[in-house]
Amino acid sequence: MKRRGRGMACMWYPIGFTVAANPSAAVVKINEDGTATLLTGTVETGQGSLTVLAQIVAQELGIATDDVHVVSADTDATPMDTGAIASRTTYVTGNAARMAAEKAKLTLFEVAAPLLGVKPTQLEAQDHKIFVKGFPQRNMHIGDVANHARVVSGQPPIGSASFNPETLALDPETGQGKPFGTYVYATQIAEVDVDDETGEVEVVRIVASHDCGTAINPMLVEGQVEGGVAMGIGFALEEEMLFDANGRHINPNLTNYIMPTSLDTPDIEVDIVDSYDPTGPFGAKGVGEPTLVPTAAAIANAIYDAVGVRIMSLPATAEKVFKALQAKREQQPKQIGAGVPQNGGANGKPAVQ
Amino acid sequence: MVNVTLKLNGETRSASVAPETTLLRLLRDQFNLTGAKLGCDVGDCGACTVIVDGKPVNSCLMLVGQVDGRDILTIEGLATADHLHPLQKLFEHFGSLQCGFCGPGVIMSAKALLDENADPSTQEIRDALGGNLCRSTGYTKMIEAIKGASCILRGEEVPAVKSA
Amino acid sequence: MADKPKVVDKPDVLERPDILRPQTPAPLVTFPVEVVVPEGRQQTPAVGQRASRADGRLHGLGQTKYIDDMYFPNMLFAKIKRAGIASALIKSIDTKEAEAMPGVIAVITGRDIPCNSFGPSLKDQPVLADTRVFHAGDGVAAVAAVSEQIATEALEKIKVEYEPLVPVLDPLESLKLETPGIHAPSANIYGHKIIKKGDVEKAFAESDHIFEGSFRTQMVEHVPLEPYACIAQWDANGRVTIYSTLGRITLGRADVGRTLGIPMSRVRIVATVVGGNFGGKNEIRAEPAMALLSKKTGRPVKCVYTRVEEFTSSTTRHPLIMDYKTGVTKQGKILGRKIRLVLDGGAYCSWSETTLGKACILSAGPYNIDNLHAEAFVVYTNKTMTGAMRGFGAPQVCFAYESHMDDIAHTLGIDPLEIRLLNAFDEGSLSPTSQKLHSVVVKESLLRAAKLFGWNGMGNAGNGNGA
Repeated sequence: MKRRGRGMACMWYPIGFTVAANPSAAVVKINEDGTATLLTGTVETGQGSLTVLAQIVAQELGIATDDVHVVSADTDATPMDTGAIASRTTYVTGNAARMAAEKAKLTLFEVAAPLLGVKPTQLEAQDHKIFVKGFPQRNMHIGDVANHARVVSGQPPIGSASFNPETLALDPETGQGKPFGTYVYATQIAEVDVDDETGEVEVVRIVASHDCGTAINPMLVEGQVEGGVAMGIGFALEEEMLFDANGRHINPNLTNYIMPTSLDTPDIEVDIVDSYDPTGPFGAKGVGEPTLVPTAAAIANAIYDAVGVRIMSLPATAEKVFKALQAKREQQPKQIGAGVPQNGGANGKPAVQ
Repeated sequence: MVNVTLKLNGETRSASVAPETTLLRLLRDQFNLTGAKLGCDVGDCGACTVIVDGKPVNSCLMLVGQVDGRDILTIEGLATADHLHPLQKLFEHFGSLQCGFCGPGVIMSAKALLDENADPSTQEIRDALGGNLCRSTGYTKMIEAIKGASCILRGEEVPAVKSA
Repeated sequence: MADKPKVVDKPDVLERPDILRPQTPAPLVTFPVEVVVPEGRQQTPAVGQRASRADGRLHGLGQTKYIDDMYFPNMLFAKIKRAGIASALIKSIDTKEAEAMPGVIAVITGRDIPCNSFGPSLKDQPVLADTRVFHAGDGVAAVAAVSEQIATEALEKIKVEYEPLVPVLDPLESLKLETPGIHAPSANIYGHKIIKKGDVEKAFAESDHIFEGSFRTQMVEHVPLEPYACIAQWDANGRVTIYSTLGRITLGRADVGRTLGIPMSRVRIVATVVGGNFGGKNEIRAEPAMALLSKKTGRPVKCVYTRVEEFTSSTTRHPLIMDYKTGVTKQGKILGRKIRLVLDGGAYCSWSETTLGKACILSAGPYNIDNLHAEAFVVYTNKTMTGAMRGFGAPQVCFAYESHMDDIAHTLGIDPLEIRLLNAFDEGSLSPTSQKLHSVVVKESLLRAAKLFGWNGMGNAGNGNGA
């Protein structure tokens, strides 16, 4: 029969490279009509980073996401970037993009200030306007300022910046130091049905509560969590590269390397934790890798809750769960008046009821 | 060489190719329709899904001889000069695609489903997508978008997207 | 200087229409150009908007151009011969028969690569193996031909003579000092990290309970839907442009410049939207070999990995063996933890150094532990190289430390949620490396998830009811 269980797992995960410099550079050019272009060396690998970077630049300039065109991934035309890796793009490249936008914006402020009769430090940019702080009615459209900057002032608004997280090398003997600029945290809870006759595990529900600092784009954060959880389900239950005794691959194909399909994943409930990181662009951190981290543990804990077997190695295939159930059944007649086991072993019922 | 003539996105087209050419290669190499993708070339991943005579097929598993005289619909045949197909519109609005590589295959599987079943349940949608592997999205937003597209095609309101 | 393509006495390829691609008129592809911009993209302020992606529309239309969708005039197609043997010396490689095949334009081996080694840290990976094979997916030769089919057939004609060596497949075997070295004459440990804090033995002595657990995880692959791909072509100024699925083009340019022995100003790397990376496309693969084939043939050369090659010849996730020992009070407060990690580091270093470091740092979990000893090793084995994969060791250690935590909770009769709240980081907590943490919300995530789920305390304790 099918038994239902639930398990939780929490985790922490760093943003950026371990100690090593991993800078990103960015260039923002503001067009004569107040729209803008962002040049970034990062690569869009599907996570939506170019959209997030456009939103960061748009926020800094007070314009809309659609007003920012992103040019990326060309070593001739875009500035260096350490790459789409280690969940660093929103945080590191995002900081660089924001700083570059800020520099371009300050050029516009220098141009607008005398036109509005104020100093540049009295200005703000929002809703496509540059206006005097506290007196929004004293404003100019950003396009007018940008055009003035080119045709009258001769100061094209271009900003260039780079960012690298602050770290401290780890002591070689004790490992103490500051390896990363920031971390994210998350909890996932899985509900599974385990067939106690076949060992098959079906994931029925996953709740994922993830910290990403400010969610620049909640829709894309959800997408990352949903995709990561699916990958985590595969890691937990299905995927394994197999080698024969001579080191040759047994299943280098998608027929026999099983990964989650739409039939293996439940509806995934995503929750974004309220959080703000002052070291990140508008408080953002990152989310790409953490989404996969706790899933297998949550599922393993749920299996235990359902049928009382502790799976110690992944993947928790039906065969493995079945064997563990068999082993448990064989042990049970011997279990009369169990004491507290020294390890939280494969048949651990809590000793204290 | 083998000569094939087929209806491709509403237009009649012919080609003369080696007999072992698959429909996938015919589309990509001969007709420059690169929407259908090569993900595995052996029918495991569904990235090459197109619609042949109304049915979704893995085009990497069909030889050109089998498509002679048939009616083929690819991703390139869904939109018009004025409109995106409702599936394309909602996949965009709901953020259903991330890397996008599986997208054309998934959308064609969804189109084939909606052509047969105007009001599919979540499970029916999952079944229809069962042959389309996606590594990026976890399928959740695809299902939302397909449900929404079925509403549009039935002339109903699309349920509001859950907000942040 | 580019070699002229070899002139071989064979039938003119133009007389073989079955292997050429005749031009056929393509059907018209229409899509709307005037589409209303979705609201999320038009709103200010921009941060926090559910803005749709600009490439989202192109994806849905099938208009996104990935590397394999790109064609250049006179482009050739390349395939790579894979060793198929896990550990061996290469005695000889004979490419003459392959080169003589109609439609084959050039063949190269490792010897043609000016600087045949690369890697993000240890530069132990060859572009093409030339003296030694370290895993069954190692590439030993590359063929450029007028079609993929001919290139694939030509691989069969390449004769490689191997002297097989005994492969080492078990990381625990590899850890032993007496096991023959895979890369170096002796010892296979190529990375070691240690984190020490407080006095873990004293903490164990003071604990009410000691728990031990040994956990293992498997080798998995990224399975991006888009296989690894690149196209290389040269211009008359000796500049090579490589279109690639690389996620790190700055590093890619440096690696291509280095392996080809040309200045970086002569190298241009362009990435398009990549069809999935997940860590598996973070270092060069075939780019230098394709650049050389392009140089040798005077034509653009495209290489797309088969799905099989994605498994055999691109990086994978490190399998981990994780031993945990934790001392707790009877209330479940962790007093000390000792961890040993052994990473199966595959045939080449790739991103193992990063994975080692992250796994070690993260291995104690998001918990306040004053007395900690975490030690991690990475060893060579003759299996597919292990590299960067989403999480760099974190999913593996999380499986261990969270399974372990539940074992502790169940044995002591404590709610798994409560034991985590008791031990988890707070704002300002010190990490295992004594870094003061900011913007800490692990407890918030625990409570939010529990509330959303409807977590009800002790749970079924192994006796789940019928679904």
